[in-house]
Amino acid sequence: MFNQNNFYSSAFAKLQSINYPLLGLIITLFFVGLAALYSISNGDFNSWPLKHSQRFILGLIIFFLVIFFDLRLIFGYAYVIFFLSIISLVIIPFFGIESNGATRWINIAGISLQPSEFVKYTLILALAKYFHSINNDSSFIKTLIIPLIITIVPVLLVITQPDLGTALIILLGGISLFWISGLNYKYFIVGVFSILCSLPVLWQYLKDYQKDRVLTFFNPERDPLGNGYHIMQSKIALGSGGIFGKGYMEGTQSHLNFLPEMQTDFIFTMLGEEFGFIGTLLLLLIYAALIMISIRLALKSRSLFSKYLSLGVCNVFFIYVFVNIGMVTGLLPVVGVPLPFISYGGSSMLAVMFGFGLLMNCYINRNIIIEKTNY
Amino acid sequence: MKKSGKFIFQKYDTENLINRRAALVTIAKAGVFSVLVGRLAYLQIAENSNYKKLSDKNRITHRFLEPERGIIFDLQGRPMAINKQKYEIIIIKEETRDVEKSLVNLKSLLPHANIDIEKILKEVNSRKKFIPVGIIDDLTWEDFSKINVNIHKLEGIYPQIGFKRYYTQGESHSHLIGYVSPISKNEEESNPLSKLSTAKAGKIGVEKAKDAILRGKLGNKNIEVNASGREIRELDRVNSVQGNYIQLTIDSELQKFCYERLKGLSGSVSVINVKNGEFYALASSPSYDPNIFSKSISNETWENLLSDKYKPLINKSISNQYPPGSTIKPFVALAALESGVSHKETFFCDGKHLIEDTSLESGYKTFHCWKKEGHGNVDMTKAIKVSCDVYFYQIARRIGINKIAEVCKRYGLGEKVFKSLYEEKSGVVPNKQWKLENLGSRWMVGETLSAGIGQGYFLTTAAQLSLALAQLINNGMRLSPKLIYDIETSNVYNERIIADPKYLKIIKNALDEATNAPGGTSYRSRIIGKYKMAGKTGTSQVRAISIKEREEGLIKNKDLPWEKRDHGLFIGYGPTTDPKYAVSVIVEHGGSGSGSAAPIASDIFKYLFEKKLNLKRNEIFNV
Repeated sequence: MFNQNNFYSSAFAKLQSINYPLLGLIITLFFVGLAALYSISNGDFNSWPLKHSQRFILGLIIFFLVIFFDLRLIFGYAYVIFFLSIISLVIIPFFGIESNGATRWINIAGISLQPSEFVKYTLILALAKYFHSINNDSSFIKTLIIPLIITIVPVLLVITQPDLGTALIILLGGISLFWISGLNYKYFIVGVFSILCSLPVLWQYLKDYQKDRVLTFFNPERDPLGNGYHIMQSKIALGSGGIFGKGYMEGTQSHLNFLPEMQTDFIFTMLGEEFGFIGTLLLLLIYAALIMISIRLALKSRSLFSKYLSLGVCNVFFIYVFVNIGMVTGLLPVVGVPLPFISYGGSSMLAVMFGFGLLMNCYINRNIIIEKTNY
Repeated sequence: MKKSGKFIFQKYDTENLINRRAALVTIAKAGVFSVLVGRLAYLQIAENSNYKKLSDKNRITHRFLEPERGIIFDLQGRPMAINKQKYEIIIIKEETRDVEKSLVNLKSLLPHANIDIEKILKEVNSRKKFIPVGIIDDLTWEDFSKINVNIHKLEGIYPQIGFKRYYTQGESHSHLIGYVSPISKNEEESNPLSKLSTAKAGKIGVEKAKDAILRGKLGNKNIEVNASGREIRELDRVNSVQGNYIQLTIDSELQKFCYERLKGLSGSVSVINVKNGEFYALASSPSYDPNIFSKSISNETWENLLSDKYKPLINKSISNQYPPGSTIKPFVALAALESGVSHKETFFCDGKHLIEDTSLESGYKTFHCWKKEGHGNVDMTKAIKVSCDVYFYQIARRIGINKIAEVCKRYGLGEKVFKSLYEEKSGVVPNKQWKLENLGSRWMVGETLSAGIGQGYFLTTAAQLSLALAQLINNGMRLSPKLIYDIETSNVYNERIIADPKYLKIIKNALDEATNAPGGTSYRSRIIGKYKMAGKTGTSQVRAISIKEREEGLIKNKDLPWEKRDHGLFIGYGPTTDPKYAVSVIVEHGGSGSGSAAPIASDIFKYLFEKKLNLKRNEIFNV
């Protein structure tokens, strides 16, 4: 029954049923990133732009691989995948690569990967399966404590790396699924309240540099050459761009290196400097369109698992965009979060393509009904 | 466990619930995006002009450009102080986030270099934050390129090419020309170059005297810099203006000869043109290499120079004052002639002269002639020739201190020769009023006698003595002493001074005899040949000779410790037939003038006569 012909025809059918506007927007964003990196590297395609392209192609491969897997298979192995990603986080302190005082990377076959980027999506996968499978009459502990635990474990693991930004995104992504799955809003009120109350205690556990960042966020002029430097220069770059920008490859802030690490987390400011408000607005619209399409596709699925998974991926993606742009515009503290599809960074590119692969798979298989299993 | 109406999950209608929740999330997302758009509009539209300014301030930096210092030439147009290229590194506080870190990085890069981080930090913090502070002054090319390669680690640190002063004549000219070193705190206000910490200022000699002319004008440029302050491109520039050239009247070859002749001694030589007042040499010994100041000099070297008992840092031709001793006698004689003393009048010298002094037990005070057994009957010519002290005691007593002082001052003693040289001393020509004002007591007759032989309160410098003699033997022409050709002194201004040529002839004749007639004090140093020199020796005491010592016999100078020996002086002119040069030589603690100073003067005259130096200005034009 499972002969080659059949496989090809089913693969072809899958390709046909992909939502091409979504893929088109993803490719558009990739090209925006490519143009930005080309500018930052002063017209040297062989440095960042080339690697960025290679990663995107690798990302596309992952995207299609994920699509070709049977959704039921993904559902079945959701916990296993999540568990494996947690294992990769756990082994980091022993096998990880240290850089800038943080150990976030592991080396797999010569490629250094940041497992925390993938955990964002594997957590969504696990939570989606969990919330799909529970019965409403389950006990309080079973229904709430277990998903809380599987959310908190990766968050804590990532905080200790230390990587506050990614931990926050994992946490927010997980919480967003609690909300989608219909958890009574009272719990959110209680949750927000208890977090606010525990802030002074949490403050004690923050590393000095993290405290500095938070303080600097509230007053960037506090230390204009130290922690406030990034955000000051970032705002100068954006602000000096004006409505129409300084022109492609004409940004003085970015080309004279006033923006550190602008190829990664601060790439948005470079776009803002060179393309102005028109450019940043257009970019925001592309992201908004991508998110809107994602939500629309997610809601078309018949199974809860697909809906949870798709909306979760979409939420994580949204949080990514919001935290990054919020950070570079001075609305949020500087927490090292890349801008998806545009920032230079392998793991984040592969992870986000993995995520959208899951989302697309759910869309293609939107009519599949998945039975509740005994977890 | 099931409690009606109390569900943990609201799952009455799952489909609707999810849609509702997703819609709420979507609305929240739209809200958040609006906030982002609003924020971007605020930054990029409302605040655009502010941020534009900040962005320009970021990228445009103002830099001062060091001017090249003016070159100093000698009479013949030989460059004596020039500028060489050097590699230096500086740090600018406002362009680094952590001065100390940058310095530590630099130190680890150049482990062999002498970088005193604390000292530099202190310097950096004491200056305005935009003023560059020098770290290493003179770098090798290897180190310079090493810095350039590792520049990204050295925030705020800049390698640059600067100028260093180089003195071609070395130590023979160091006192005269001086040297430059970093601008000090108290010079900052008056020196516009102080905006550049690497700039230097003249500290002594001509370099200091004419610093304002030599220093030139700062240039500046606006440059576009990257975040680490590296220059990306130049936006505009006002070039620095090189300092003006300066030409001295000094002949560097003659100066060198004079310096070499003083080698091993402590003393000075001054050579002046008797016709126009140009100084051809002003040498001082021992000396130092002025080029050591082009690099930062070590404390040890500096301490050694300061504590050396031969005082190598002092220009002995203008900054050390000596009692003129017998070299004053021609001027005392002139005063006597002007007071009506006939040069034919004789006085008897039996080796001592007594004056009443009631404070002493014996009722009188004895003044000794340098020749114990006396000179017998001496007239003015013989008195100058043999340097008879008793003769001068008597005429000094007769004409009084005020007349002696008046003549000496008229000839330029007790007054600075070069008004522009800061380190010059004026010397002292004492009179009654001077003593009252400076010492607060009345003038004593015995002091007139001491002054008559150039002792007591009298103090002069080598430059003064040569100038005074020059004006004496040029038939009384007042000279404007000249060392630097510049606008102020380019017009030679000579004025007859009140001096009867008849009297001057008598003194000139006596000086001639003192050198060229047997028995003269400098007869042994006479020049045999077509051109001759003439002059007066002087021996100035630096210690009081006790009565006991006089009775037991004077201790010979060579048996005394160096610093107790007499100074040897000589003033001379030549050629005797048509005087062109006047020379003064002072050998500190050299013993006697005839033994130590006259032979040096003799050699200098021989050099002047034989070498036939073309001592004529070879004009250097400012280009």
